[in-house]
Amino acid sequence: MNRMDKALTQPDVETGGVAALRHSWRHPGGIIGWFSYDTHQAIGMRYIVTAFIFLLVGGIEALLMRFQLAHPNSGFLSPDRYNEIFSTHGTTMMFLFAVPMMEGMGIYLVPLMLGTRNVAFPRLNAFGYWMYLGGCIFLYWGVFSNSAPDAGWFSYVPLAGPQFDFGKRVDSWCQMITFTEVSAMCVGAELIATIFKMRAPGMSLNRIPLFCWSMLVQSFMVISAMPAVMIASSYILVDRTSGTNFVNPAEGGDPLLYQHVFWFFGHPEVYIMFIPALGFVSAIVVAHSRRQIFGYPAMVLSMVATGFIAFGLWVHHMFATGLPQIAQAYFTAASLMIAITSGVQIFCWIATLWTGRIRMSTAMHFVFGFIAIFVLGGLTGVMLASVPLDLQVHDTFFVVAHFHYVIIGGSVFPLFGAFYHWFPKMTGRMMNEPLGKINFWVLFIGFNLTFFPMHILGLKGMTRRIYTYSPEMGWGTLNLLATWGACVIALGGVLFLVNFFWSRKAGKVAGNNPWDADSLEWAASSPPENYNFEHLPVATSRYPLWTPQEDFTVVTGLRNDRREVLVTTLMDAKPHHRYVLPGPSIWPLLAAIGVSVGFAGSVFNNWYIVWGSILTGLALIGWFWPRRPVEMLP
Amino acid sequence: MNTLDVGDLPPYDISSQSPLWWGQLCTAIIEGMMFAILIAAYLYVRLRMDVWPPPGDQYPHLLLPTLSLIALLISAPFSYLASEAAKRNDRAGMIRNLVLNLVFAAICFTLRILEWRSLNFNWQADAQGSYVWAFLGLHSFDFIADAIFTLVLLILILIGRYGEKQRLGVHVDSVIWYFLVAVWIPIYIVIYWGPHIFGSQ
Repeated sequence: MNRMDKALTQPDVETGGVAALRHSWRHPGGIIGWFSYDTHQAIGMRYIVTAFIFLLVGGIEALLMRFQLAHPNSGFLSPDRYNEIFSTHGTTMMFLFAVPMMEGMGIYLVPLMLGTRNVAFPRLNAFGYWMYLGGCIFLYWGVFSNSAPDAGWFSYVPLAGPQFDFGKRVDSWCQMITFTEVSAMCVGAELIATIFKMRAPGMSLNRIPLFCWSMLVQSFMVISAMPAVMIASSYILVDRTSGTNFVNPAEGGDPLLYQHVFWFFGHPEVYIMFIPALGFVSAIVVAHSRRQIFGYPAMVLSMVATGFIAFGLWVHHMFATGLPQIAQAYFTAASLMIAITSGVQIFCWIATLWTGRIRMSTAMHFVFGFIAIFVLGGLTGVMLASVPLDLQVHDTFFVVAHFHYVIIGGSVFPLFGAFYHWFPKMTGRMMNEPLGKINFWVLFIGFNLTFFPMHILGLKGMTRRIYTYSPEMGWGTLNLLATWGACVIALGGVLFLVNFFWSRKAGKVAGNNPWDADSLEWAASSPPENYNFEHLPVATSRYPLWTPQEDFTVVTGLRNDRREVLVTTLMDAKPHHRYVLPGPSIWPLLAAIGVSVGFAGSVFNNWYIVWGSILTGLALIGWFWPRRPVEMLP
Repeated sequence: MNTLDVGDLPPYDISSQSPLWWGQLCTAIIEGMMFAILIAAYLYVRLRMDVWPPPGDQYPHLLLPTLSLIALLISAPFSYLASEAAKRNDRAGMIRNLVLNLVFAAICFTLRILEWRSLNFNWQADAQGSYVWAFLGLHSFDFIADAIFTLVLLILILIGRYGEKQRLGVHVDSVIWYFLVAVWIPIYIVIYWGPHIFGSQ
């Protein structure tokens, strides 16, 4: 019997109390320590802050476009610069803001809501963040060296192919995709494992908070859809750098196939951004109407159904490419079907609100704003699902208006609601409510002022992605209106930042549960300790904090002198075994640097893939190498 | 306040109950989607061409790829036996089966490289060349990565620097190895038998 087995036979008692817990979960000090953090609060916050910065960057790009389009024949931006800016705007908002922001919120909130101490793979979590940051740096390195992508955020070939797009512009887009998708897939895999296996005891599938359900569905969509975009962007990249013929029609490749593969990702992508927002809305609606959700099973099933249907819609982005009629009919029907699952959820929220005692907080304002804007975006979506209308307004500002209503209404408004709702949890202080409500109205009015005129512009024939137009077209007034609206949105953004910084310093101290909300994150302190809970909670109902306190149960018997968590069974969340999470490590950063060398270098020379792989392999071996005997013990 | 004591539960578990096993399953889903989309794309491109394989490309040879597939299939049970040995903490069993797993993987890979040399088209030749080499390249990349991971585990066990985490590693390593074996079967059928079945010249 060796030392290991002896350790196993010793009874494991709870050791050292909260001091030991704090010690084993502390962040390492120093600069290398800072780069080694692997708690979900730290990584989640890094995602949120970085993604918010890119929301501002993408917003500034949008303002530049609006200034250019404010007047006919404007010379504010050159046509070439305009191409770069609209491509970078879309790319930034999709890949550097929306998806990472949702991932960051999930990383921060899911372990708290599930009543555990960290995500299942903390080092992978850190690695994912560094890959995302690598993608940000890579794209903006291109932007500031006159190599910003200029073929739109979906880089259609042949425009983006080697024949028509010279230099490194599209290459920087292609590899930015690979960076950020690797990051998203890391998060997807770790959230699935966390939600499946690390829930609080008693949190059976029918007690999972709706936000965690939404992240679960989103994670499955991420790991199923993201491989498609990596293939699509790799098609372009290797065609450009290595002379392959994936999308070269002269040698049997197919440009239309690129569109299929891209939109097989691209449509689910919309729901990848949108489904976590449904989770935000459900959490906010429950907490602020102080009532259990109406129709929990219907909510869960429609989210899952949305996840499936989302993979059967992609061709409606390609109605103008000349498809067989049967395909058009099928994808029209499938596109209309998504209105059913979205409608079920909207009605469930309305029923919850109707019978609840609503607290008109800022978060609630954003939920009402979401419902109004999203329903409008959904209505134009139903219109666009019909082929004749789609052909008429294809590639016009009508489409631009539609997807901004859906994405900003469907994702960004709930996100701001979520900021106001969870800010007390994340910082320990309340945001200013009166300023928050002003913030909401400014954003709401600004948004409609900007994007509603675009419907009309589209119907009047203004195509998207044109850098200017002549005065005779009669588009000047509405464009000027939209530009003023964009300025109002910018003002709303400034108000949010003011509220954010002021509240961080001087906001009212929040306490653990300022909203009297139901889910487990509100049982932790605000902001949470690195270990989240001194004793892991037991979920005695679907709304654990709304059950009588005498029924509140906690887990004992986990060791505090190492990062131990509880693994529970998939369906019923019965305690199964204890599990030791790894501690902080610099290897995830080194591995991310190795992968970055390969990805970034491959734009210039294929051999970098070999060098990057070797570096990554060495870093991964270092990552997995058991350092001390203690790591080998259970 | 009530308590639920979990101190009696085992401090690890080498089975599909472990979060790591689910992480590996997600890896398999990600890569499976990637290969599934590439297979669909290959068939799409084939439908759009009258002549397949495109003019100038040979019909693929079948002998070496088939032998290579057989070696790959033989390697899988050893991966399984190694993971069962890991559950029992049977050091000799883990070493023996991991070595055999790697030996058959090496035979498979050698045959694969020999076969590459006989292909008369590269990735620049035409769309078929691009796809065939994409399959070969991506699967080989995964293959080598997992073989290295297996080798590292084997070394850790040989030098005795292992515990439950590493034994769990052996177990989840088998999951991804089954995937790499299983996913090669449809790819093998499509790229080697495909031109014989649905080609026309």
